[in-house]
Amino acid sequence: MVDVKEQINMNKKSNDVITLSVPNKPEYVSVIRLTVSGIANRMGFDIEEIEDIKVAISEACTNAITHGICEEENKFVVDFFTEEEKLTIYVYDNGKGCLSSNIKTPNIGELKEGGLGVFIIKSLMDDVEITSNNGKGTVIKMTKRVGDDV
Amino acid sequence: MALMINKKYNEQDQIWNLELSGEVDIYTVEKLKETFNKIIEEKKETIRIDANNLDYIDSTGLGVLIGAFKKLKIEEKTIIIYNIKPSIKKLLNITGLDKIFTIEG
Repeated sequence: MVDVKEQINMNKKSNDVITLSVPNKPEYVSVIRLTVSGIANRMGFDIEEIEDIKVAISEACTNAITHGICEEENKFVVDFFTEEEKLTIYVYDNGKGCLSSNIKTPNIGELKEGGLGVFIIKSLMDDVEITSNNGKGTVIKMTKRVGDDV
Repeated sequence: MALMINKKYNEQDQIWNLELSGEVDIYTVEKLKETFNKIIEEKKETIRIDANNLDYIDSTGLGVLIGAFKKLKIEEKTIIIYNIKPSIKKLLNITGLDKIFTIEG
């Protein structure tokens, strides 16, 4: 009986904010992926949803590292807002806001090596908002709802 | 987690066999890019990728595959990927790349 009670307490959901401040270095993107799978797993997302979130957050971080100010001493910030039924992630970079809001569906006829990232984020997450402020960087906000897979 | 690449040229079938294990992201992608450049420079032949131990790939890695595919296409060669994990198959599907590369299994 004690075991069952503890299990219930472990899964108790609450609204929390977790903030990561990450050096602008590619090697930390895998650390962010591990972090988000821990958070998402705790919230009750299934394996497929966790994989979606991992890819989406990596794409956002890759954007932050490549489009943000490219000095390695700089950092970018990731906020995780956990609510009962959804996880909202913000990725902020301090770049020049060069990420265009005009993201098109990739044209398979004219293959390009880049430009897939934001399209992938939009496909895998339930809600995505990208705000580019002139000179103040880009914020990618993305939300995934638990058990709401299309 | 790191990325391991095993490459072997099959003389008989004139095909590159590539085994990828681990994760391809912004950190490990350079290694993948170098390998592709090197083998395509050596022999412009079809590349067959065993993705059985490939746990993760994102747009950085897909970009390298697209770049390699463009070079091979000129010679009417292609990229074949097999043993793909469901999460990666999903990514190839939403990007439409499953219609560009040859997907087996």
